[in-house]
Parts: sequence; structure tokens; C-alpha cells
Amino acid sequence: MILSEFLGLLDRRRVLALGGMAAAAALVRPAQAADLYGPKAADAKTGGTLNVGTLVEPPGLDPFHQAADARIRITVLLYQGLFYESPDGQALPLLAESVELSPDHLAYTIRLRDGVKFHTGQPMTSKDVAYSYNYIRDPRNGSPGAGDFAMIRSIEAVDERTVRIAIVAPNASLPMTLGNKYGGVVPAGYFDAPDAKTRINQASVGTGPFMLGEFKPNSNITLERNPHYWEQGVPALDRINFIFTPNAASLLVGLRNKRVDLANLSRPQDIKQVEGVAGVVVERSPSFNQKSIDLGLEMKPLDDERVRRAIALAVDKEEIMRASIGGLGKTIGTMVAGMQDSWGAPLAALPNQKPDVEAAKKLLAEAGHANGFDLTLTTIIGYDWMDAAAVTLREQLVRVGVRLNIQRIELGVWIKNFQSKQMGFTFNDWGTAPDPNLLFYRHFHKAPEGADFRNWANDEASRLLDEGRAESDPAKRKEIYGRFQTALAQSVPTIMLFSADLIVVRNERVRNYVQHPTGWYYGLARTWLA
Amino acid sequence: MGAYLARRLAASVMTAALASMVIFLLVRSVPGDVVGQMLGQTSDPVAARALREFFGLDQPVWRQYLGWIARAVSFDFGVSWARGQPVAAMIGAALGVTLELALATLAVATLVGVPLGVVAAIHEGRAIDRAVQGFNLLGLAAPVFWIGLMLLVGVSGVFGWSPPLVYAPLSRSVGENLSMMALPVFSLALLQAAAYSQFVRQSVVSALGQDYVRTAVAKGVPTRVVFFKHVLRNVAIPLLTFMGLILIQILGGAVIIESLFSLPGLGRLLLSSIEARDYPVLQAGLLVVVTLAMLVNLLVDLLYHVIDPRVRLR
Repeated sequence: MILSEFLGLLDRRRVLALGGMAAAAALVRPAQAADLYGPKAADAKTGGTLNVGTLVEPPGLDPFHQAADARIRITVLLYQGLFYESPDGQALPLLAESVELSPDHLAYTIRLRDGVKFHTGQPMTSKDVAYSYNYIRDPRNGSPGAGDFAMIRSIEAVDERTVRIAIVAPNASLPMTLGNKYGGVVPAGYFDAPDAKTRINQASVGTGPFMLGEFKPNSNITLERNPHYWEQGVPALDRINFIFTPNAASLLVGLRNKRVDLANLSRPQDIKQVEGVAGVVVERSPSFNQKSIDLGLEMKPLDDERVRRAIALAVDKEEIMRASIGGLGKTIGTMVAGMQDSWGAPLAALPNQKPDVEAAKKLLAEAGHANGFDLTLTTIIGYDWMDAAAVTLREQLVRVGVRLNIQRIELGVWIKNFQSKQMGFTFNDWGTAPDPNLLFYRHFHKAPEGADFRNWANDEASRLLDEGRAESDPAKRKEIYGRFQTALAQSVPTIMLFSADLIVVRNERVRNYVQHPTGWYYGLARTWLA
Repeated sequence: MGAYLARRLAASVMTAALASMVIFLLVRSVPGDVVGQMLGQTSDPVAARALREFFGLDQPVWRQYLGWIARAVSFDFGVSWARGQPVAAMIGAALGVTLELALATLAVATLVGVPLGVVAAIHEGRAIDRAVQGFNLLGLAAPVFWIGLMLLVGVSGVFGWSPPLVYAPLSRSVGENLSMMALPVFSLALLQAAAYSQFVRQSVVSALGQDYVRTAVAKGVPTRVVFFKHVLRNVAIPLLTFMGLILIQILGGAVIIESLFSLPGLGRLLLSSIEARDYPVLQAGLLVVVTLAMLVNLLVDLLYHVIDPRVRLR
């Protein structure tokens, strides 16, 4: 923290001219142990089992091959990457200790933390780090994270405690990419065993504060404190028991009767049930999640920008948010709520944000749809907010002449459409790590560099995304992503509606749980029971 | 008897083989696959291809089927694609929960429903009959999930108590197990008890009017004997059919009650496996349900013969 304040006093250009070390320091703040996972409690009591209730069960616990958010939420406690995604958007060294960036910004020399051991008890070395990241970045190994790591040219172990990562082009979000969403460091050669992909669901091999106890499908997952953990004095809990209650009623009853100590809730009607219950505390915090409307340009007439703008001008985000999540969130422009301060374009300056029925009708008439048209909206079964939002959106669109049919489809079918770039007109619900490149690039850069799921193929936006990725000066980077967001708001391949707040309901004896804006359970590494 | 059994079992094996093919094709007819689920919305095509290869999804369907069935006949159902655990163990654990649920429900429903129906029939038209009929109507009309929900919320509201959320088998803790099972069993048994009671009442009322009963009474056979030997025995056969159907229904379809009470049963396992497109679990699980249904039917047929030797097993 002190170093970055010091750097702030200097002219950015001169700092960069000083060479790699200083530039890297601007990207990566030196970690203070207190920053990782949340504040360390001074008065923490050790011991006890925390019962966490959750409506969604992770389909598996493999951080290398399973992309489900329900998996990530739990495995961040089992596996660690080189960096930690600090809520303020910085990558803090986790298994890394320090970073040096070459003058050409193409090679990172990373010094590893000393004394780190795997859950198996064996010490972690640079060979394990190189193996793990080389495994994940090779798409033939089938990791959903492979795309994020395509920028890496090579990873090699220099000595026992040093790795060097070479990248193909300057990329300011490399440290954040080496975070905890996908992969994590596992012992070298782990996946050589033919049963490794299945064994990982029964025994964890990471370096995280907890290790896997038991995974009972449709019942619960227990995590046990890692006796080899490298941070001193944490975690405080002996055991975490994640209980899967597919029905909200049993979760709520469990919270009232102290069978569940902590849970994340999202539906306003559920939160009302536990508000005011003695001994139960409800806390709200902003998230990195977004609920949005996606407009696939492969579907006519969404290929016409005037039509897309008209739809954006018909949408009243505030009204949809109130109808779908009871107002427990924040409407957004082109950036998720938890990152608006650090990376968002000023909301007032963005086009097509406020409802304007007349302007929308005029645009539709220009596009040859003076009498409106029929449009099918896809929503996903099981995403409760979408049902109420869909009905509200239909009311809003009919005012400009667009007649909406609502089609509810199953998640697997929706994913298939999305991946094959046939999403049409659909609601979406997704989250991000706190970096604008990781948020935007794969989704909005034209193919083949990006996946461009919406078939947007926008040259100007793609150029800005390339520029923003290469720029390491935070102020300039923010300015570039501001211009990108203006292009996004102008051309409307997506309409970001709102970020739902993360709502934690906990028993009052649960202390020092700070919710991370990703929704992942990082905070449990600092939690204790009174 | 022996020949009959052999013939029935052979037919069952044929049916199971046919069912395995239908199941295999059916689970694959749902759009999307496990790889789509694993990689999520931003997946990489190369990674997707690599994983499809790993799971053998790139092979022609007939080859996938032959590979699966060849292992399945030696009871090797492989490993769950999503959860990485042996399929046989997963199904075994889930089946244990659901069997307990089904048998307990059957027991409670029989112990409550049959006496109620008999009492109502004996007092046909009187107040007690009308009270039983009222109960039957309520039990048959109220949806199971509503009864379960009301029990859960009601018990919590009145006693400040709710069932445990993590299942413990009987072998580990009888108390934990029963306190978790009580409400779901009661929710399911209410409907079944009402159905049995209604059914038994009708059957007994009509049997009481039959000639053979009148003859027996005229011959001076004691009422108790007439009742147990003639009336109930004739009611027992259709009731048995009824119970068999209920048992099969709970084995495969108690998913709503299992979800409401967080029971890790077979219905929930199948549902979550459909969502994950976890073919190995889904195929084996459905095959187990089909096989159990056939076994229950066979058992019911054998019991017919025990109750009424006139029923010939052919």
C-alpha cells in the first residue's frame, strides 16, 4: 500500500521508464496478509463447525475442468493461484511473493512464497506452478480456463522458488488471470493418473486454507482445516459443512432453527422471511454480477443497430429490477456495480440508458418497423428473477410496438445456444473477476481472438479491447475502457440491467465473514464462531 | 412354480435389455451434454472437443452403448462424469434413502389406512364413516408438496424445531435418522393412507353384500372369522396391486418430497444427473428403477398366489 501511494506521487511515464520492477508494482500491490480473503480478526476463537446452507449444489469440485459458479464458490477455499482477486480490482500476491516485469512487458518473473505445502503435505515448488498453469492453458486438456490463458507463450521453472512467464503481447491483466477462478496450483504430474479427473472430487490436492473432507452428492460437502496451511493462525474454523437444500423453505426454516449458520439468499421473498428473526443478521453488499439482456445479431431484425437502440430506449431498468428482485440491487450502465468506481464509464455520459419511447419509435420507423414486430425472448428455467423481469419487459416493449413472446428453456439448452452463437434475444446472468479485460474481452472482441457470442463483430470495440489489455497505466487503461463502454452503449449488443446485491444471512455467532463481491466464499477463511 | 419363476425372470431380463437401449437413447435425446455443463457459457471449442473425447462422446452412439452395456452386465456402472464417484455406490446410497422412505410410508399408510377403511365400512353411513370419508377427501385432494411444506413450516412455527438437513443412515444414528424421516414419511403417507382407506372401505362394503358372506353368516360362522377369512382376504388382492404401484411410484418419483426435506434419495439423484447430463448415473439409475418396478410386480404376483391359491401361476 505504501509503495503504491509513493508511486502515485511520481509521473507515470517516469515510473515506467524506471523499468520492470516499478511498473509491475503499479499493477500488483505488495500483499499484506490482512488483505487476503478479508480482514484477519484479532480476537478470533479457534474451532467449531460452521453450517453453510446453499440452494445450488456444485456439479463437481474440479477447478480445472468445471466452470460452474457453484464450484468456484467452494473451491477457492481448497485451491490457490498465484494471485488473489482483491475486491478493489487489484491482484494481490497469494502463492506469489513478488513480481518483476521485463522492460518490454513480455516476461514476468515471479518469486514464490516460501513454506507452502499441499494438502498432501508435500512442499510446493516452481515445478508444480509451471505444471499447473501449463496444464490449464493447453486446450487439449479440456479446461474452460484455457481461453483466458491463450496469451501465455511459456511458463518455466527458473529455480526452486522462481517461475518465469512469457506472454505474446503486453497484457495488464495477466496477474488477475493467474487468480483462483480456474485451476490453482496442484502437484506436478497430478493429471497424469487416468483417474485424476474423478479422484479430485474425493480428495483435494491444493494449498488452500481448507481441504476436502467428504463430498456426498445431493447432501453435503465438508471441508476440514488444512493442518499444513502456510498463513499463521488461520483459518479459525475446524470444519465447514456446506449443506445443499434445493428448496428455499427448508433453508429458511433451517436458518430460523439454527441448523444453518450462514447462507446467501437472492430472492426478496426469502429475505423477508428471516428479517427480524432473533439472532439472525442480514447483510447486503454490492456484487460483480450482472443481469442483462443479450441481443444476438444473428437474429433478424437485431442485426440493425437502430432496432437494438430502440429496444434499449424502451427499457426501464429500475422498473425491471424492482419487479424481479424487489429492488435489492443497483441498476447499472456498462459496468457491474462492484466495479463501477474503479472501471465504470460515468453513467450520465452513456447513450441509450434512459427510457425514451418517442425516440425508440422513431428509430424503429427509420428501420422500417413502424408497425413494430414480433420478438421471442428466451429465459432460463430456475432463474427466478427472469420470470418477473420477462413480464415487465414485455409491458415495456409493447409501448414501442415490439410484441414479445416469452420462451422458457432449460439451462443446458440455453448454454448450447449460447456457445454456438445462436442466443437470439435472451436474458443472461453472469459474473466476473474484477478486471475489465477479463470481463469484456472474450465476450465482445470479434472472432477469432474473442468468442464474440453475440456476433457483434465490431472493429472499433475490438481495437479498444486490444489497447486496454496492453496498457499497464491504470489511468490510461480506465480511459480506454471508458471509450469501449461508450461504444458498447451506443451499439447495444447487450443491455446490462442491474447487479443484484449479495445478501448474507447469518447467525449472530458467526463472526468476521466479509462477503467477496464475486459471491465466492473467500471470507470463510477468516470467519470464526463465538 | 419354479418354471414360472424362471420364465418371468427371463422375460424381465429381456425387458431390462430393451429398456437399457431406450434409456440410453432417451438420455442422449436431451439437448446439451456434460461437456457443455462443465465448460459453461464461455467454453473453448478445442477444450470442448478434448473433453468429449475423454468421455467417449465423440464415438458413434452404438459403440458407446455396447461399451456401457458390456460393463453394466458385470455390474460395473463406471464413474459419475460430474461428481467423479463410483456410480454403483452413489445409486446404492440414494436407493437406501428412498427405500427407507418408501417402506416406511407403505407401513404407516397401511397401518392407518386399512383399519380406517374397515371401520368406516362397518359403520357405513354413520358419523364415524363420514369422518373417515372427510379425512380421505382431504388426503386425496391436498398436494403432497403442500402437505410437506405446511408440516415443515407449521412444526417449525409451533415447536421451534425443524428436521436435520444432513441425512444419517439408520446404522449411524437411529435418532437422527428418524427425526429426519418423520415429516417426509408423514407427508407421503397421508395421501396413501387416504387412498387405502377409501379403497378398503369400498371393497369391504361391496364384499359385505356378496352371497358368500351372507351364506357364511347364515351357516353360523362367527362374525370375526367371516370378516378375516372371507371379506379381508378378498380385499387383500386388489389392495396388494395397489401397494405395489405405490411402492414403484415412490421409488422413482419422490423427488419433490426429497427436495423439500433435503433427503439424498434416488429421485433427487436422477434429477440432478439430468441437469448435469451425467449419463452414467442417469442410465444406471433409470435401469435400477425399471428393474425394481419389475421385481415389485413379480413379488405382487407371487403374493397373489400365497393369499389365494386359486390364482394359478402360469
